[in-house]
Amino acid sequence: MTNRERAMNILHYKSVDRFPAVHFGYWRELLAEWAALGKIPVELSKGWSDGNPVDKELDKLIGWDFDWTPRYSPRNGLFPAFEEKVLEVLPDGTKRTLNADGLIQRFSPGVVSIPAEDDYLLKDREAFETLYKPKMQFTPERINYEYLKDFNTEVYDKLDYPVGLGVGSAIGTIRSMESVVGMSYLLYDEDEDLFGDIIDTFAELQYQCTKAVLETGAHFDFAHYWEDICFNSGPLLNPKIIEKYCRKHYERRNELLHSYGIDIISLDCDGVTRDLQELWVDTGVNVLFPIEVGTWGDQFGPARRKYGKRQLGVGGFNKLALREDKAAVDKELERIRPLAMEGGYLPCPDHRLMPGTKFELVQYYAEEIKKLKI
Amino acid sequence: MNVFESIADSLERGRAKEVSAKVTEALDNGVSPEQILNEGLVVGMNVIGEQFKNNEVFVPEVLVAARAMNAGLKILKPYLQKEGVEPVGKAVICTVKGDMHDIGKNLVKMMIEGQGIECIDLGVDVDPQRIVDAVKESGAKLVCLSALLTTTMYGQKDVIDALKAAGIRDQVKVMVGGAPVTQAFADEIGADCYTLDAASAAKAARAYFD
Repeated sequence: MTNRERAMNILHYKSVDRFPAVHFGYWRELLAEWAALGKIPVELSKGWSDGNPVDKELDKLIGWDFDWTPRYSPRNGLFPAFEEKVLEVLPDGTKRTLNADGLIQRFSPGVVSIPAEDDYLLKDREAFETLYKPKMQFTPERINYEYLKDFNTEVYDKLDYPVGLGVGSAIGTIRSMESVVGMSYLLYDEDEDLFGDIIDTFAELQYQCTKAVLETGAHFDFAHYWEDICFNSGPLLNPKIIEKYCRKHYERRNELLHSYGIDIISLDCDGVTRDLQELWVDTGVNVLFPIEVGTWGDQFGPARRKYGKRQLGVGGFNKLALREDKAAVDKELERIRPLAMEGGYLPCPDHRLMPGTKFELVQYYAEEIKKLKI
Repeated sequence: MNVFESIADSLERGRAKEVSAKVTEALDNGVSPEQILNEGLVVGMNVIGEQFKNNEVFVPEVLVAARAMNAGLKILKPYLQKEGVEPVGKAVICTVKGDMHDIGKNLVKMMIEGQGIECIDLGVDVDPQRIVDAVKESGAKLVCLSALLTTTMYGQKDVIDALKAAGIRDQVKVMVGGAPVTQAFADEIGADCYTLDAASAAKAARAYFD
């Protein structure tokens, strides 16, 4: 069996000769750490991103089979994006920059963490109508028609990983444009209609992009949303607001995907997602990812028990065990084994591997997970 | 609804302008600024904190309520100072070295201020020595440290070590929080307090000063 077949079989509750070793990438600091320790060549500690050639080389060194990531996403964000520029350099070297989404961020010299969000352009209806709406319209140059010619069954038969289509988000990207603070103030300071209009306009764009990709005849094994709309206590916004404004868009986009035979629809959302799971599973988003056990205390088991076989998952292996020892890895593997044996669940470390993660333990995990079969 | 309930109600609904107007009106009518603070603004913020803890309201509601609180406080402050009303206590708050993400820190700050505690906000990506200096200068009895990432959470230990090295660890309580932080981690690094959410952090902070 190929890893592509293994992954798809598991997510369709079919048997496999072994589980694939799936991952979700690395914090770049970890790769630098591994290079300094002589675990990986220095050239592999730079330029990594999901599914790129560096990722593939690291897969070989470690024993991974593939990264759970979409292999193609149309330009379904702001287009043209805002021109990224430095607005100001503060005396301590901190840079205030405008990013492609219109968010103003602060970067301190030498700090690689997520930047601070300082300000945003999308503040009111005028900003939406003049700055954003024109960038949220479908145009053919959003689709790489040439590249998509290779997304066909003949090529796929030679691939050893499942092929995902990025289908955007319903609300996560709006948050990226405004920051949590901006989105909060928008909801309260402006009328809710504006909030709804932004979501509807952006969702229409994402639908048209998805439709245009599928109409090329390109084939995909799964579709993949990105939201990141939760934190350690649950959703960042009231789930009722998300339900009110996003349900119809999930339904419509997922119906389109279903009509093209795509029945595995995953959604990347960090944090504790339980209050949104019902909305997602009801509308056809059936794969939870990455199910952060270690950092945020999320779990796959309760979702599976609540929604039964409708609920699939990728992730859920507490990555913190990979900083400890073999016994900790074994214990975590034992914890997830019963869920894996039910089918419909692909174990994977529950987010980017972080500094302090032991190279040999990651190799060990990859070896051990391949010993499972159903 | 009396004047305090009315102020609290506007605050809970995140109506900053209403809060400002009601606080001004109350002051004009001779209501004590300390009463406006404690029986109006703080009560409203406590309600929001409890609802946030119980997942009845979410981050946006807390942010707009805190903004309304600040609008009220801005008007009250000169009156409180004139009457010699001191803050309940002082706290130094920041995200640790390497961590730029300040939403959690800002939420905790707003909630703590809602308890009548003065916050000395050092901002983001703060060097341990700066925190030590701020504690010495301000006499703060509480240090609140935020970290968003597993890559930066160990910066909280660096601060505790710096406080020890400066010989002032015993003079302050250290509260840690942030997405990857757990009670076990707080115990491991020798912090005095960990709470899961901003409302609980504010309650715990107040308890240190009561």
